[in-house]
Amino acid sequence: MVMAKRNSIVVLSSDDEGDASNRSLSSNTSYAKSKSRSTSTRGKKRARLSGSRSCSSKDSSRLHEINLLGEDFNEVFTGFNDSAGSRRINTEELWVDKHKPNSLEELAVHKKKVEEVKIWFEERLKPSKAVCSNNVLVISGQAGVGKSAAIHVLASHLGAILCEWNTPTPVIWQEHLHNSSIGTPYTSKLDEFETFVERIRKYGLLSTFINGESKSSIILLIDDLPVTNGKAAFGRLKNCLHQLVRSTQVPTVILVTDYGNADSADYNAWCSEEIQLSLLSSGACKIAFNPITTNSIKKVLSRICQLEQCDLTAQHVDLIAKASGGDIRHAITSLQFFSLKENQKLSLSLSVTKEKENKAFTLDDGYSLHFSRDETLSLFHALGKFLHNKRETGTAIKDDQQEAFLIQERFARLPLKMDAPEKILSQAHVQPGPIADFLHENVLDFMNEEAIEDAWTVSSYLGDADILLTKLQGMLSRYNEAEGILPSAAASVAVRGVLFGNSHTLSSRWHAVRGPKLWRVEKNSLYNKNEMFRQRITAYKGLSSCHTSVMATEYMPALKLLGGRLESPQLSVHDFDMEDIDFDQMSLHGEENDDDEIEDW
Amino acid sequence: MLWVDKYRPKTLDHITVHEEIAQNLKKLVTEQDCPHLLFYGPPGSGKKTLIMALLRQMFGVSAEKVKVENRTWKVDAGSRSIDIELTTLSSVNHIELSPGDAGFQDRYIVQEIIKEMAKNRPIDTKGKKGFKVLVLNEVDKLSREAQHSLRRTMEKYSSYCRLILCCNSSSRVTEAIRSRCLNVRINAPSEEQIVRTLEFIGKKEGLQLPSDFAARIAEKSNRNLRRAILSLETCRVQQYPFSSKQTIPPMDWEEYITEIATDIMKEQSPKRLFQVRGKLYELLINCIPPEIILKRLLYELLRKLDAELKLEVCHWAAYYEHRMRLGQKAIFHIEAFVAKFMSIYKGFLIATFG
Repeated sequence: MVMAKRNSIVVLSSDDEGDASNRSLSSNTSYAKSKSRSTSTRGKKRARLSGSRSCSSKDSSRLHEINLLGEDFNEVFTGFNDSAGSRRINTEELWVDKHKPNSLEELAVHKKKVEEVKIWFEERLKPSKAVCSNNVLVISGQAGVGKSAAIHVLASHLGAILCEWNTPTPVIWQEHLHNSSIGTPYTSKLDEFETFVERIRKYGLLSTFINGESKSSIILLIDDLPVTNGKAAFGRLKNCLHQLVRSTQVPTVILVTDYGNADSADYNAWCSEEIQLSLLSSGACKIAFNPITTNSIKKVLSRICQLEQCDLTAQHVDLIAKASGGDIRHAITSLQFFSLKENQKLSLSLSVTKEKENKAFTLDDGYSLHFSRDETLSLFHALGKFLHNKRETGTAIKDDQQEAFLIQERFARLPLKMDAPEKILSQAHVQPGPIADFLHENVLDFMNEEAIEDAWTVSSYLGDADILLTKLQGMLSRYNEAEGILPSAAASVAVRGVLFGNSHTLSSRWHAVRGPKLWRVEKNSLYNKNEMFRQRITAYKGLSSCHTSVMATEYMPALKLLGGRLESPQLSVHDFDMEDIDFDQMSLHGEENDDDEIEDW
Repeated sequence: MLWVDKYRPKTLDHITVHEEIAQNLKKLVTEQDCPHLLFYGPPGSGKKTLIMALLRQMFGVSAEKVKVENRTWKVDAGSRSIDIELTTLSSVNHIELSPGDAGFQDRYIVQEIIKEMAKNRPIDTKGKKGFKVLVLNEVDKLSREAQHSLRRTMEKYSSYCRLILCCNSSSRVTEAIRSRCLNVRINAPSEEQIVRTLEFIGKKEGLQLPSDFAARIAEKSNRNLRRAILSLETCRVQQYPFSSKQTIPPMDWEEYITEIATDIMKEQSPKRLFQVRGKLYELLINCIPPEIILKRLLYELLRKLDAELKLEVCHWAAYYEHRMRLGQKAIFHIEAFVAKFMSIYKGFLIATFG
């Protein structure tokens, strides 16, 4: 702490001299920053808007530069104190901001995690203690699990001052033109971040603004990391963070948003994972926040309901909480949206609610869609659903079926225990071709040993899907309209064929899902084909080319024999390196997302 | 050099098996009027040999100086341009290629090449032979669209180039094309002709070839001359002097399919189907065409099958072969056939033996 204080003094003096080259630069950018911020009214960051806005005039740019950090800080800090009292009257505000947690009790994040973070902070903020080896804490979690909120609350609880770094909004082209006419060079956001980190490392925080309350300790919060594009920039970011972890004196919290495992192929997700890893390896602590449990969300929602005096049934609250998928910000917004509708369209809703309430029991699609996040499924999740082919058991559903037209016994199947296959397909974002390949590769594992008839049905349907897909390719760009429909139809045929055909499912047990071998086969056969051609023409001086089929069926076997390799008539295929596809051994048993598991924890 | 290539007749005069056709072709070409030609006949009957000899007759020795190229064509297809890669064999006077390799983009390739040939029309000093020859292999593998576009280009550019088409079965070539070509049917050589050819090669190589051994090779070759010569050569490597009891090494892929057929007959279950799939993949990796796999598999299965099932099995084989042509992923359809067969056979076993 002493260190930090002294540092700040040093910096202050250098500020007075006013010669640092990056100063004018950063004053301008921060001007731009504050300007663009004022237009962005994104949820929780709103609080910052009220702060020292007055200083955005140009004359005060010198003072302003000092506030590059200070401004944020002040805003956050004051916004924080304000939000509790005075702001609550403002009905225009988003509930997310309005009902920001103000105490540890109000925080929806799990107690244990909060405790962990708290202990970490306390260790670092104790004035007596010597310099800790590492001052960086990484908090990861999905969007909207209350990472920032937890830090904010904890900071105010511990009486520490929170400084926040937010990646500035990107400079748009127009702005850049404007700036360059003034003479401001463009700096990338990554550059800015690097400069920022550099300064933090060297001088600690420039805490001029704490004049009055200089005793309180400081926490630095890096909310989002700059977006990087390309390997070089990413490397710089990593390096920069590494330096930060190594040498920062201020307790620093870095928030990393986990993207759902659904888009694991996504570059962003990869980046965030990579960054977490590199941070950990440089010695940072990590605490992962889980999605908020339905119960905690419900608690928060009903508290808000009380405060806002809107009487939602417990059922609705429950529904919203469930649909939010652990994202409390989303849940609160949905609640606001929902209650808004109720109030304004009271007359209408009266007639509608009855209907709604019936549906709410079954969590019907059409209804819950209003406030559920669009869920994404991973490919394997979707495949698992199709392959395991879970269906209702017993005769409870007999009533439903009587309405439908009569089906012969052998064509009748029990209703599916899942959404419509097409919906699952759209959630999983898969192409029809690959899904057919995947199903083809794996479906036989999920079949009863005796059910060869089923195997035929399934493979026949997969064949249908293949034919549908081929028709599309044949016509290229001519029939644009048909392009959207045919592949979807093909995927639908493939999936439903598998679901229908596999009528004697195995009792569910562990299965590995493999990547389609077909892809490797196609690749290898193409390679072999070219190889054969080359061999034939160069080595054997054939005057005319000949059909691949002739080559493969007549020349190659003969050549093999002539080459003296007479050991076995077996095809020499086994020596290919079957490279393991990374998803080769993926278990399908994380299939049910158990809420219980989170609750227990 | 393989004997197949070494003893391939180079000129129309040297052709032994289809002498009459060769003489007719010679007459046709020497009269300077060469129409489009369509050669069709089973594999190993000598179509290629005839075509090469014909080209030589037309252009002299220069037709034998071929170079192999892997060329990429840029084709404008409506809104976007596609790159198509194909291997071609060409001399000054002719280009040979298998447009079927381009898959469903084949129709573009045909048009594009013919247009290009028309642009680079060779000019003779005497103003004669102002045309190139385009040899298209596997015309029967061309899609319907490609054949239609071929028909139009054939008419449009007929003064610049002559087409020589080559295929196994003319039934898959559209009527329109067939009527624009002089159809030449090449029969499979008879067994006596094969034996005579084998003996001719034996004499040239200075081998003692027992006549009954030659007859056996001819019989095993299924009237495929190329295959007969290849197996003669492999036998020569394996054991010489020949004995008439000597085994003729079978094609490895054929044995493999026999193995698959045995597997299928032994057990009918999804698990076995999965194993069969693995084996089919190995065949496909080695570029054995799926049609041939299916055909051979059917042949092997029929040999072991009760007569009353044969009709049904053949029906399904034909059904899935058709679907295979409509589709793209052959394995799906072959597997469906295998599954269907297993299902039929299992039902039959249960009905018969309880």
